[in-house]
Amino acid sequence: MKVKLRYILLFVVPALVFYTIFVVYPIGYSFNLSFFSWPGVGEKTFVGFENFKNILFGTFSEEFFSAVWHSFLFFVANSIFELGLAFIIAIALTSKIWGRRFFQTMVYLPNVISMVLVGFIWSMMLNPQWGLINSFLKMIGLENLAQPWLGQPETALPTVIMVNVWRNIGFYILVFMAAILNIPKDLFEAAYIDGAKNHHIIRKIIFPLVVPNMQTLAILIFIWSFNIFDVVYALEGVQAGPFRSTDVLGTLFYRTAFGGLGSSAQDYGLGAAVVVIIFVMVIPLSMVYANILDKRSREA
Amino acid sequence: MKKLFVLSVVLLMLCAFSMAETVEMWSWRSQDEEVWKQVEKALQDAGEDIQIEFRGFLPTEYDSKMLLSLQGGKGPDLVYTRRLPGGRTKALVDAGLIMPLTDDVNFEHFTEGVLNNITQNGERYGVPFAVQVCGIFYNKDIFDRYGFEEPKTWDEMLAISETLKKDGIDPFFVPGKEAWALVMQHAMCGISVLGPGWIKRLAEGKIDFLDQDWVYMHSLLNDLKQYYQKGFLANDTNDMNSAFAFEQTAMVFYGIWGVQQWKELNPDLNIGYFMVPPDFIGNDPYAYVYMDGAIGLSANADNREAAIKVLEYAAKPEFGTIFSNVTLNIPAVTGAQMPDSAILVEANKTAEEHASPYVYWVGSEFVSGSPSLYNDVLSPGLQAMYADKMTPQELAQDSQDALVQWYKPLMERAERMGK
Repeated sequence: MKVKLRYILLFVVPALVFYTIFVVYPIGYSFNLSFFSWPGVGEKTFVGFENFKNILFGTFSEEFFSAVWHSFLFFVANSIFELGLAFIIAIALTSKIWGRRFFQTMVYLPNVISMVLVGFIWSMMLNPQWGLINSFLKMIGLENLAQPWLGQPETALPTVIMVNVWRNIGFYILVFMAAILNIPKDLFEAAYIDGAKNHHIIRKIIFPLVVPNMQTLAILIFIWSFNIFDVVYALEGVQAGPFRSTDVLGTLFYRTAFGGLGSSAQDYGLGAAVVVIIFVMVIPLSMVYANILDKRSREA
Repeated sequence: MKKLFVLSVVLLMLCAFSMAETVEMWSWRSQDEEVWKQVEKALQDAGEDIQIEFRGFLPTEYDSKMLLSLQGGKGPDLVYTRRLPGGRTKALVDAGLIMPLTDDVNFEHFTEGVLNNITQNGERYGVPFAVQVCGIFYNKDIFDRYGFEEPKTWDEMLAISETLKKDGIDPFFVPGKEAWALVMQHAMCGISVLGPGWIKRLAEGKIDFLDQDWVYMHSLLNDLKQYYQKGFLANDTNDMNSAFAFEQTAMVFYGIWGVQQWKELNPDLNIGYFMVPPDFIGNDPYAYVYMDGAIGLSANADNREAAIKVLEYAAKPEFGTIFSNVTLNIPAVTGAQMPDSAILVEANKTAEEHASPYVYWVGSEFVSGSPSLYNDVLSPGLQAMYADKMTPQELAQDSQDALVQWYKPLMERAERMGK
């Protein structure tokens, strides 16, 4: 059956209009703005590639590459913990263990808490003087391990990453559980009859059948890792302290576009240039990454 | 009959509301809401039919929200604005988004120093509302217990700190996680240790940030960190407020605005104040005093006349009385009746007699461009120095490298020196 063009347009045009207004136009506007210096009011000053030069080779280059590195570390850690750990927990929660229903609800709970609240809760728990974590370590005789977790560069970024994992892992567990529960039971029964052990079942049945979900989640993690802002903002503020050791591209954008506290000037043009660089970096890389994953899954 | 009565009352109320002029006001200081309720009542008592609709925003989000709103031709009638020559307010003035008030408001109750912070090209933009005083706030009961006097020199301060530390009391509680607080501490120490004369020479380009005194200032603070609480780089101002209010620490480097919260947490807290002592006997200490902000008239104001009436009131001592009694802050307007608070009276007196005329934190040119000495150099740099990731010399070099990019007197000096 051939659908008439006007019906196709009838369904496509409204979505296309919204997409153009809320996605295409802002992206185009950001590209345009990145060639200007503009504090948000008054005339824009055309500066050509000056903003890009400043970010990649000038005043902000050190901060920019440090932010890219931290975003990459977010991606690696999120991939390992949010995918790896979530997969293991999902297997446990789909098995016949005691209190399964309770744990299934509990693991998703952090995901429904707003990030501002997450920041507040963890800031309290990680307080070096009266926080729960250090108090617990002192109580069990591990006083030497008590640290100012968010106040030293060696522990600040890993701590922020762990809080992010704690908040998000429930979502990944949920996706993996749905994928595992969708696997026909006959496959497991046949494997057990053939003498397969649990680790065989996981490696040879569950894992290959969950790979497509994992692939999609990996691409999402890649994109989300380079767009992270809220968890750093909630725990360390836009200054991404201590001394930028938790700085990511999101916080760098915020500082350049909106300025810091006090009287310092803001420059939307500079902020837009950061956004354009993130865009140019993330889109092609995620396409390459998606291709690699797709190829591997076909080979498997 | 009953229905008719209710209907009449509702109609009368609607008429009353529609007759009153509503002045909308935006601010980053949510704590000022009660101030404006009392101002509204005072205006109404004086026969003005004005309602003030106050809205507070998060300080970190306020400027961009206000700016975008005014730029879009909307927004409130009155806006809280930062100091001039700060880049943000300058941008608002240059774009004609806030209006000059020189001919509309009587500024006779303000000092020249305060008015400088709202003046550009001879025009006055905004009515200043508060003056902030920074320095060292201490627990008088702890000082009395040990028989300490307020220190007159840096060495005396170190001796006090040493005694307290030996007794297991944290001499200082420093909120090192919030980099701005570290910069404020540096700035209030700098005016007493380096002195206003040194800052003036720096501002004029007669010396630069590679000067040995600038390095010395960093070293002095780096040596002081042994008297801060353990893990201080992970503490924020909330932790500091609790620790100071509940007598867990003896001293804090902070501003007079903290008093309101400390008193709320612990009404019995006995607070004292002293300026950061200089490091040599005979040198004068100074207080870091700055105008916190002003209330500006939006170019898009719907109720311009009513808004100007509110501003006229804000320029009178009566406003200062309300403001200081509600917030325990020092009002920018002179002649106000201050609340019965010894600490407030002392800080006010210090502000009048010992304010440093030259500074390098808020209210100075060094923080008005990019990269800024405040946000881009000292904020991350001091945290790095305290964490032993940067030396005082490297921090001085960073200051020079950043400011020489745009601060004209330093650029000219670098050219002269052939650097």
